[in-house]
Amino acid sequence: MTPAPRLARARRTTKAHHNLGTVVGFEFTRTIKKRRFWIATLAIPVVMAVIFVLVFASNSSTRATTQAQKNAALSFMYTDASGIIPESLAGAMGGRKAQDPATALAAVKSGTSEAYFAYPANPAKDPVKVYGVDKGVFANNTYEAVAKQVLAIAAQEKIGSPTLTAATGGDVRVDTETFREGQPSGGLGAALPPLMFLLLFYVVIILLSNQMLNSTLEEKENRVTEMILTTLNPTTLIVGKIISLFLVGLVQVTVFLAPIVIGYLFFRDRLALPDVDLSALTFEPGPMIVGALLLISGFTLFTAVLVAIGAVMPTAKEAAVVFGPLMALIFVPFYAISLILSDPSAPIVRVFTFFPLSAPVTAMLRNGFGTLSTGEAIVVIAMLFLLGIVILRLAVHLFRYGSIQYGSKLSITKTLRRRPAELAGK
Amino acid sequence: MTAGGSAKEPLVHIENFRMDFGDTTVIKDLSFDVYAGETFGFLGSNGSGKTTTLRALLGIYQPTAGTLHIAGKVFEPRDGARLGYLPEERGLYKKERVLDVMVYFGRLKGLSKAAARNWSLEYLERVQLADKAAVKIDKLSGGQQQKIQLGVTIMNNPELLILDEPTKGFDPVNRRLLMDIIEEHKRGGATVIMVTHQMEEVERLCDRVILLKDGTAKAYGTISAVQEQFGGTVYRVAYDGDLPPSTLYRATGVTSTSSGTADLVPLHGATEAAVVRELIQAGVEVKRFTTERVSMEEIFIRVYGDQNTLTEA
Repeated sequence: MTPAPRLARARRTTKAHHNLGTVVGFEFTRTIKKRRFWIATLAIPVVMAVIFVLVFASNSSTRATTQAQKNAALSFMYTDASGIIPESLAGAMGGRKAQDPATALAAVKSGTSEAYFAYPANPAKDPVKVYGVDKGVFANNTYEAVAKQVLAIAAQEKIGSPTLTAATGGDVRVDTETFREGQPSGGLGAALPPLMFLLLFYVVIILLSNQMLNSTLEEKENRVTEMILTTLNPTTLIVGKIISLFLVGLVQVTVFLAPIVIGYLFFRDRLALPDVDLSALTFEPGPMIVGALLLISGFTLFTAVLVAIGAVMPTAKEAAVVFGPLMALIFVPFYAISLILSDPSAPIVRVFTFFPLSAPVTAMLRNGFGTLSTGEAIVVIAMLFLLGIVILRLAVHLFRYGSIQYGSKLSITKTLRRRPAELAGK
Repeated sequence: MTAGGSAKEPLVHIENFRMDFGDTTVIKDLSFDVYAGETFGFLGSNGSGKTTTLRALLGIYQPTAGTLHIAGKVFEPRDGARLGYLPEERGLYKKERVLDVMVYFGRLKGLSKAAARNWSLEYLERVQLADKAAVKIDKLSGGQQQKIQLGVTIMNNPELLILDEPTKGFDPVNRRLLMDIIEEHKRGGATVIMVTHQMEEVERLCDRVILLKDGTAKAYGTISAVQEQFGGTVYRVAYDGDLPPSTLYRATGVTSTSSGTADLVPLHGATEAAVVRELIQAGVEVKRFTTERVSMEEIFIRVYGDQNTLTEA
């Protein structure tokens, strides 16, 4: 007997790498070449740019108005049952003592006086009554501000000590230093950097989850699965799709962040953006590493879950039914955020920390605020990675042996039960 | 089971293959070989298990039991660079451009980007779709999409072509094109496994066939061997007059009820003389009477005639 004929075959490793690159290139290119991708991607920065322009214009207008109000002196009448306010002080601020409250009120009503302030005998107990000519919702606040300021300055003069005045008004500076396990803790400046991973996780899930869900559905809906499965290892296909999605996500994040960065660098003052003091941020290695690992492991788990759902469901429409509850489970810890921050040992917080779908968000929050112990971090990260890999393998299996059930939902148990006699002996 | 094959190792070897879906057994116990360079017809009515067998052979289904080998081993996608598979359920990335999709599959089959692009453009030229290279696939007609699918199948000069109902949905012109391409590959030494309901295609192209029914092989071997197995001969008659109903024969391929040609399948061992005599006694003028081998279509009808599920592809 002559030996079995051979099909010509490329070198395995080279071909696997070649195919992965081909899948990534094809999936990435065809996504970013689509007009609707750019419409969706550019919509957010365009909206942001419009808002920036409106804020810019509004701030210019507000600044001019504020300046005008500052320059305009307010003339008012007042009565003082408390006896706190010296006439000289009130006079210097545009005030004139009224002899009769009724006459002063009538003058405001007729428009001959701008405002009338009636200070009670005990301002700590009874309200100061303020009457004024209507100047619009925002400008009307000036009356209250002036009435309070007159009373405050009069009180300060009575106390006669700037230190006591500052102390009673709470106008003092406080420097706080806290310690954890004997070491100074960084406060909010140390909490923010690890929380950036949570923000990144949120953005990635929001931007990419729908595409992840649909990534394997396309082959099924277009009946391409059989062609693909005879030319390409399903693991290569799915990994290639995930990598390309990640690259697409990077493009989107870059496009989204561009206007913010440009706005912050060049128009910070005019856009009224907060002047963040980056030197106050503390980048502690431990929480940063844990945050990064939670991000990667959480991303792995959710990608695997979404791909598996896509492999099971026959159409995007049916997959969308599962998508909503899944997203709710991912972000449900935000509803308990105050409890997570204030009482990390509460039972519900512990459940959220170790329940796979809520674990990434909960653990990242706790990591940021320093309540996630090293042991808990290791357990959560290991759990997310292991579960992610197991579900990803399951997703590949479901795609491989179930995705040609074009018109119907795949039975996971039946698919898993079919053990290949030949493959087992391979 | 060699059935007319050679003593050399087969390119495709299926032995004691069984396939269950839940409580339903689709394939009971199937064994056959396909040898390098031959064109093999895989025949059967709808639901007889042909597509299931091909999917199991290509690793898309996991067999319940048995051995399914290509080139001596279980098929894996990484061995598929020189395999051309045209599945029954067809489709391509509908929202992508024709050339992009062809280049993608060419790359997956191991071609360089330039080679895949050049091959694709030449193919599109040949099938008169050169002007559609930049058009999205869902903008093409069904027949045009079939041509693209066929092009993807035969890229990289496959050594083994597996075609599941290749002419399904093709108009006569495209069917001829497809047959020409299959013959070209056959001449080039490719092995072809073809599922079809078109018996004229089987007789024209196939070296050997297997007929599948109820999950088992009803016939297997060369065309002539299978024809011999199913009675061997048919009487081809050219006539004037009306063919009478008879217990000696069953008329098939009748071109006209009053005159023309027909194939008379002898029943109960009816001889040529007995049939001619009956025709003459019925007033039919017999212009020509020859003995031919029974056609594959007739064999197909004999095997599956009791099934109402038979439909044209």
